[in-house]
Amino acid sequence: MSNVIGFILLLLIGLYFGKRAEKRHYKSIIEREHKLNALPAIASRFPPTDGFFHHQLVTGSTVVSSDYFKSFTAGLINIFGGQVTPFESLIDRARRESVLRMKAQAKASGAEMIFNIKFETSRIAAGRTGAIEVMSYGTALIPRSDR
Amino acid sequence: MKYENRQPKEGINVSKHSPVKLLLQLMVATLVMAVMLIFLLQVSGSWLAKKIPFRFEESVMEKVPYDFGGGSDNEQVTAYLNELASRIDEYLPNPDNVRYTVHYNPQDTFNAFATVGGNIVFFKGLLDKMPNENALAMVMAHEMAHVAHRDPVSGLGGGVASMVALSALLGSSGSGPASTFISNTGGLASVQFTRKMENNADDEAITALGKMYGHTQGADTLFRLIAQQRGENTTPDWLERFSSTHPLDADRVANIAEKARQQELPIQGALTPLPAFWNNAL
Repeated sequence: MSNVIGFILLLLIGLYFGKRAEKRHYKSIIEREHKLNALPAIASRFPPTDGFFHHQLVTGSTVVSSDYFKSFTAGLINIFGGQVTPFESLIDRARRESVLRMKAQAKASGAEMIFNIKFETSRIAAGRTGAIEVMSYGTALIPRSDR
Repeated sequence: MKYENRQPKEGINVSKHSPVKLLLQLMVATLVMAVMLIFLLQVSGSWLAKKIPFRFEESVMEKVPYDFGGGSDNEQVTAYLNELASRIDEYLPNPDNVRYTVHYNPQDTFNAFATVGGNIVFFKGLLDKMPNENALAMVMAHEMAHVAHRDPVSGLGGGVASMVALSALLGSSGSGPASTFISNTGGLASVQFTRKMENNADDEAITALGKMYGHTQGADTLFRLIAQQRGENTTPDWLERFSSTHPLDADRVANIAEKARQQELPIQGALTPLPAFWNNAL
C-alpha cells in the first residue's frame, strides 16, 4: 500500500515541480533571448570579410535532468513507440539555454556576432537519472581595436 | 551584409500535449497488455506443464541433490507425517496417481509448502504451533491437493513463460520506474492464478478432512494462526483480496464453514490429539 502511495506521490511531485521549473525557465529564456538577439549567432561557416575581427571559440553548455513523471511516461512510450513528447520541452530548453550561455560568453568578450555555431548532445548519468548535456559552440567575432 | 537573430515562434519544437492524459492512456494500455499477456502465458504455460507426466517430474527431482529436510534426520516425525499423508490420500482425488513425499525441516519458519516431484515440506515453526492432528491434517490435505492438481509444476510453467515475456517488455522500457510498474502489474495478474489454486486446494482439503474425521472441527485453526502471526493488518481488505497470492484468512475461514455447510458435514466433533512423542520429538 505504501508503495502505491509513494509512487503516486513521486508522480505528482514530478509533475508539479517539473511544470513549475519549465514555466519559469521558459520565461527567463525568452527574456534573455530578446536581450541577446542584438548579438546574432549564425550557422554559416563564412564570416563577413568586410571587417577586422579577432576569432575566438565560445561555448555554452547546459545539463538537464528529467523528472520522475517524465521518465515514467517516457518509459511507457518506449514500449509502444511514438514521439517521446515529454522530453521535447526538456531538450528545447537545454538547447536554447546553451545558445544563451554561449552568447553571454561572447558578449563578455566584446564580440559582435558568432559564426559557425554547432550543437553537441551527450547523455550523462545513463540509467535511472536520465540527464543530458547540450553544448553549443561557435566562433565569436571580436572587433579589433586597430581597425 | 547585415546579420540578425529574430525571436523564434514558440511551440514549434515542443508539441502541445496534456501530460496527464498521455500518462493515463499509456498506463491503461500497458495494464491491458500486461494482463492479457500474463493471462495468456499463465494459462498456456501451466496447461503445457501439466502435460509433463508426474513420473518424469519425480525422476527429475530424484536427480536433484536437494535436501528438503534441511539436514534433519528426525525419522519419528517424518514417518508420522508420511503416515498422515497416506491416510489423507484415501480421501483426496488423485487423477494423475501422484506420490507424496513429506519432509520435516527443523527451521523455525511458520510455513509448509508443496513443490515439484510430490515433495511437501513442513517446517518446525509451523508444526510447533499445531494444537491437534485435525489442524495439521488440514494443512497436509491442502498441500497434497496442490500436488494432486499439479499446481507446483503448472505454476512453474506459467511463471517461467510470464517471466520471459515480462523481461522482454522490461528490457524495452529501461530500468526506471516504468519497468517497476510493468513488473508489478505482471505480478498482480499472476497472483490471480495462485489465489484460484489456493481456493481449490482449500476446497478439496476440507472435503477430505470431513470424510476422514467425520467433521471439520479444527480445519480453520491454521488460518486463525496465520492471522494471529501477521498481527494488525494495515492494508484494506479489498486491496488485499486483489493483490495477495493467497486468499484473505478471514475469507478462508468463512469458506471452510460454507463448504462444510454445502456438504452437510458436521462442524463440531472430537479432535484427534497429536501422537504422544510429538512435543519431545520436534
